[in-house]
Amino acid sequence: MGTMGLALPWETRISCVPREREKRVEPSEDLTGSPSQTVGSASATVTTSEDAEIAARCRAGDLGGYERLYALHGSRMKNVARNLLGNPIDAEDAVQETFLKVQRSIAGFRGQSSFVTWTYRILINTCYDARRSRMRKKEVANDDSEESPRPEPRAPDAHPSLRMALERALAGLTKHQRDVFLLYEVEGFHHAEIAGMLEITETASKNTLFQAKKNLRQVLEPPRSNSSAGAR
Amino acid sequence: MKITCEDRDKIFADGTPAEWAALEAHSANCAACAGEIRAWKELSVSANELRDYSDTPTLWPRIEQALVAEAHTKKRRADRWGLLSFGMGSLGWQTAAAAALVVILTVSTIWIYVHRTPPGPVDQSLLKNPALAEVELTQAAYEQAIDKLSAEAKPQLENPATPLQASYREKLQVLDSAISDLRAQAGMNPSNAHLRRQLLAMYQEKQQTLEEILEAKR
Repeated sequence: MGTMGLALPWETRISCVPREREKRVEPSEDLTGSPSQTVGSASATVTTSEDAEIAARCRAGDLGGYERLYALHGSRMKNVARNLLGNPIDAEDAVQETFLKVQRSIAGFRGQSSFVTWTYRILINTCYDARRSRMRKKEVANDDSEESPRPEPRAPDAHPSLRMALERALAGLTKHQRDVFLLYEVEGFHHAEIAGMLEITETASKNTLFQAKKNLRQVLEPPRSNSSAGAR
Repeated sequence: MKITCEDRDKIFADGTPAEWAALEAHSANCAACAGEIRAWKELSVSANELRDYSDTPTLWPRIEQALVAEAHTKKRRADRWGLLSFGMGSLGWQTAAAAALVVILTVSTIWIYVHRTPPGPVDQSLLKNPALAEVELTQAAYEQAIDKLSAEAKPQLENPATPLQASYREKLQVLDSAISDLRAQAGMNPSNAHLRRQLLAMYQEKQQTLEEILEAKR
């Protein structure tokens, strides 16, 4: 592979400083350890004891438990849904539906994974359902437009061309590759958490991410010059 | 740790921090690996563009409202179910009593059916052939006995000396008339047990009346 960077219009803005992300894949990902371990450590830090407390409050029908869950994870849940569904309206509907599903099925939560992981699994399944439903509607309407998430305007400070290029590239990935990439690289989940959410093994999550990034690079990498091709 | 270019993909896929550090060290002298690491990390950085954690102030109130509505619906359903359960609970003893009664009736019916005594010809609405022959035989015996008694009582009946004898004669005339009717009906329907019983009763009555007439004579 060539030594040139990706043909991204934002290349100059990207720091070459090694990301903490690579260190995230280390053994610290185990979720079943000490109480001080964290769940969903990328943006909202929730200790396993707090996770259990939220679960208990939700199980008891305490609305405050759901409010706490939303305060810690609402924004990220919405972002996950938006990246999976492609637009903020569907994303908000999916988040709301997820909270209702959590409320309906909290009695069946056995604590085999963290409560937050379980909630995200419900969210992802809800997004899959919404996506399927949307595709069925498109089929009925004989609309053969794209089946991948439709890009929508996002945060005002986002780089539009960068975002669009990435979204186009993501649309070319398999469903699992796209999901793992979004959950790991965008949302900052650990592989163990992603494995729990997508009901795959941790190794499968790592391999899928590797394949997703390789495929993205192939799409985003500029044509190599002869000189750079012979650099290795 | 000795790292070569061949180890790069493996480290990208699932490298430990030590392996990453070794790869970084290796890339200091390997332009190919340096470029690959840089491009690899660029992808991760570019993923930030897909992150938008901006708040939607209307979302939580909406969710809260939906949760409350759902909880109320669930509670109403539970209450309704609870009421039904209570109703069922309060009706429990009646249900049990009804069930016990049904069981008792069923068992009794079965017991009575199994242990029933074969009903006699009198209880039968229709007589079977052997019973009919027996009845005919008894009837013939009555007729013979009555004929004998009638012959003995004939003088008193033809010339009644007292009002009592006159009333006996009238009674016998009524009985003869009734016997005649019943015999006619029984002739048309010989298996009718009811007719046969009535006829038998008439014969008994006539026999008894004749005996009383003869008794009075003595």
